[in-house]
Amino acid sequence: MDKRESMWDVYLRKGMSRRSFVKSCVALTSLMGLSTDQVSKVVEAAEKKPLPVVVWIHGHECTGCDESFIRSGAPLASDLVLSQIALEYDHLLAAASGEPFEAHLEETINKYKGQYILCVEGAVCTKDNGVYCMSGGKPFIETLQHAAHNAAAVIAYGTCAASGGIQAAKPNPTGSSGISHFTGKTPVVNVPGCPPIPEVMTGVVMHVALFGTVPPLDNEGRPKQFYGNRIHDTCYRRPFFDAGMFAERFDDAGAKAGWCLYKLGCRGPETYNSCGNLRWFQGMSYPIQSGAPCIGCSNAHFWDEDPMTTRMPEYGPLGNVDKIGAALAVGTAAGVAVHGAMSVIQKQKREAEEHEKE
Amino acid sequence: MKHVVVDPITRIEGHLRVEVQVDEATGKVTDAISSGTAWRGLELVMKDRDPRDAWAYIQRICGVCTTAHALGSVRAVEDALGIAIPKNANYIRNIMAATLTVQDHIVHFYHLHALDWVSPVEALAADAIATANLQNTLLGAYKLPFRAPNTSTTEAYEHDFPAATPQYFEQIKGKVKAIVESGQLGIFSANWWDHPDYKLLPPEVHLLAVAHYLEMLDKQRELVTPHVIFGGKNPHPHYVVGGMPCSISLDDGNAPVNTARLEIVDRAINMGRSLVNNYYLPDLLAIGAAYVKAGRVDGGGMAKTCVLGYGSYPIEGYTGTSDGGFFKNLLIRCNGVVEDFGKGLAAAKFTEVTAEDVTTENITESVDHAWYEYPAGKKDLHPWEGVTAPKFTGPKEGTETNWKALNESGKYSWLKTPKWKGKLCEVGPLARYIIIYTKAKKGLLPEPSWAEQMMLDQLDAVSKVLGLAPEVWLPTMVGRTAARALDAQLNAEINKFFFDKLIANIKSGDTKVANSDKWDINTWPKECKGVGIYEAPRGALSHYIHIKDGKTFNYQCIVPTTWNACPRDDNAGNGAYEMAMKDTQVKVPDKPLEIVKVVRSFDPCMACATHMFNAKGEKINVITTDPYSGTRVDK
Ligand code: SF4
Ligand code: SF4
Repeated sequence: MDKRESMWDVYLRKGMSRRSFVKSCVALTSLMGLSTDQVSKVVEAAEKKPLPVVVWIHGHECTGCDESFIRSGAPLASDLVLSQIALEYDHLLAAASGEPFEAHLEETINKYKGQYILCVEGAVCTKDNGVYCMSGGKPFIETLQHAAHNAAAVIAYGTCAASGGIQAAKPNPTGSSGISHFTGKTPVVNVPGCPPIPEVMTGVVMHVALFGTVPPLDNEGRPKQFYGNRIHDTCYRRPFFDAGMFAERFDDAGAKAGWCLYKLGCRGPETYNSCGNLRWFQGMSYPIQSGAPCIGCSNAHFWDEDPMTTRMPEYGPLGNVDKIGAALAVGTAAGVAVHGAMSVIQKQKREAEEHEKE
Repeated sequence: MKHVVVDPITRIEGHLRVEVQVDEATGKVTDAISSGTAWRGLELVMKDRDPRDAWAYIQRICGVCTTAHALGSVRAVEDALGIAIPKNANYIRNIMAATLTVQDHIVHFYHLHALDWVSPVEALAADAIATANLQNTLLGAYKLPFRAPNTSTTEAYEHDFPAATPQYFEQIKGKVKAIVESGQLGIFSANWWDHPDYKLLPPEVHLLAVAHYLEMLDKQRELVTPHVIFGGKNPHPHYVVGGMPCSISLDDGNAPVNTARLEIVDRAINMGRSLVNNYYLPDLLAIGAAYVKAGRVDGGGMAKTCVLGYGSYPIEGYTGTSDGGFFKNLLIRCNGVVEDFGKGLAAAKFTEVTAEDVTTENITESVDHAWYEYPAGKKDLHPWEGVTAPKFTGPKEGTETNWKALNESGKYSWLKTPKWKGKLCEVGPLARYIIIYTKAKKGLLPEPSWAEQMMLDQLDAVSKVLGLAPEVWLPTMVGRTAARALDAQLNAEINKFFFDKLIANIKSGDTKVANSDKWDINTWPKECKGVGIYEAPRGALSHYIHIKDGKTFNYQCIVPTTWNACPRDDNAGNGAYEMAMKDTQVKVPDKPLEIVKVVRSFDPCMACATHMFNAKGEKINVITTDPYSGTRVDK
């Protein structure tokens, strides 16, 4: 009863073939952004490592991340939940509720101390002792601290958990914040996005599960394999940007032809996420492909960088973008330089504005 | 008398706690309270922002009905500025709304509600051959063959019949058995599986439903692809004030919407129809019929006394909402209130809901039992004058941060109490069906639209299956769950209806999808107000915006869950959840499965229900977040 099965054990028990097991491992390897020479490592881990116990808790959030998670296409959420992880506690899918459910959380924490993965969706409410986010008669902040301190690793799913999200936008009425200030020494992986791409969510939990360690992270605690590129650098409209061809209004001829959305406020040039390479629903689309400028939802505090349809404030209302575009068209090297400069200008401008306001 | 607390109620969106008093001898619930236990303050966050961005912010109220608030919001802004959207944008928004409704109801039934009715443990006793036979019988008996008239046929044959072979069910049984025997039950852990309610259904129904629980977990994602095509992603697809961002072109290779991409939308719509007709309705009717036969017609509560709807699906564009334009060409005219439906049709009373109701004092909110404070002497306030000053008063027993029992005679929830003409109302699919049915039977629906007629036909068909009149089975917990399934079928057809309209319109040469005439803030009036209304999957939703100098001065929403989950009101009595719990028998007070079942029959979605805005414009407490150096919080 207490033997914990590995992914391979589960496949064996279900009478599934070695071939399909190896196939899943190959899929997982590429999903995790690893090169194919890592497949053997993944297979080894999947053979030996017991199914990882996962505890998923909710703070101040909208459940969009949970919903995104169950949209995962490869692996399918059902496979993941039933064969690849042991999801012991989750408000959205759990059968139980109330006291027995809370008791089960305690049991799980005690039984798997230092071994389980804690997924957190939503921000921490810190104001007035946390009374604005209560569950089980206790403030969420207590549950978070207790569960995080005993976990092997914490995954902060969504911009809410990573940096406070929408409720932390000005004036932050409930004193909401990202969770990493409250997780003690346990390593935290930030998986921002509002919500994150489903396959990014499943990919990160599988990485922690199979390798027993957090993936390589950037300086904001995000897995490099998913947040290493700017949307802009992987955008299918990028050639139009470089050629200085911009949609000027929603639904004009440029918008129909798929020209760059920069002038409509696109934040692709300053946003790190996988929308450009993975896209949503396994390559089906992403906001820019559907004609909507990127709102930068994986950036910390992007909610306070409004308005969303205005760019490059010091150039006036989107004035000189044409010139920039034209300059870019001259040569790639120059393009990269001007481009980098633009992002820096935007950032400095915002910082200056912030100081003024404070 | 036993005091029973369920907190958290899981399988919902957000944080909810209920407390009931149960008479142990009779199983009667003598009192019940429902408490929203979180409060996020989004409406205050809205202040001073660009109204053209409002949809993106306020949509994050809820990640489950993810497009509902975006739609409410763009409608409110367009109403304020007098923007009429292009035909295509209206069709696409309707497709997105219908898509949401179908997918949301399916996920609710299978993943958020089914485990209250069916159990994987009971499924182990099922015979795989008998289950396969049962599946075939159900498909024959319980398929309701309703279709929107004259819609296109774009599939050669219907896909995705549920598998009905013994091998299939044997395999599912093996899967479930392995999980149960491993001792690591995962999401199935710690539930009251030994509750007598799980014995109400034969093991074969349990196995069938558990199999479909798993099937639907995989399939639900494919239903929302229209959001991914038109809005770029799901959850939280993108919108734009004045129409939709997804320009249409049959000439440009890179166009967001072209023939290939419309085909993806069509496939999802067809799949929605297929899943509702072949899985959802037969499963629901099998379970519902067993409950009704066992005499379980409780849990109706306020459905018997007062329900409210706003009406849905503008067939073509409209000029505005506050001027009444929205109500003029609705596909489903359920804009109304029905009182006393539980007393029978003769006693039931219908009152129309008009633009006047959504814009005047006919709708108000009170805070007698909510953790807010109104200025001295104020009792009921219209959303425009709404004040939201938090006043947390702690529980009755326990401490501020360790609750034992909440104070039913004082304040006990982060939800306000909305009222229509001083009365509490239930909203949702059940309300929509009760309203259309009552209107028709009272001769107030002289020329029903095809959709309204379909609603009446659906009710007829189900009444035949159950052998009871709608007045008897509708206002119950089973009726609330069944109305949601019928609503899913209806919306699957509506989806096709608007898809065909979209195709026909594009074919006629009209590809316009956004109206940018009023995009420039300099063209706006100095001050204006707007309302956006929508029948969300969970019921009547209204967003209110007040724009001043090009910025959001005030933003308010009255959401379905506030109507249903609100705390009591000193004059009007209990809210809908509370009424429904009081109308439910509890067999084992320590294991109040009936209570969570009746609460979940409303499809609770709490995050959207917590209000927070001080309309006087005073900021309550400012905590600065610096976009580039992490969050600073004052503890
Ligand atoms: S990050 Fe976005 S989707 Fe996720 S919980 Fe927060 S608001 Fe919802
Ligand atoms: S600005 Fe936006 S639309 Fe244009 S190329 Fe960059 S990411 Fe793509």
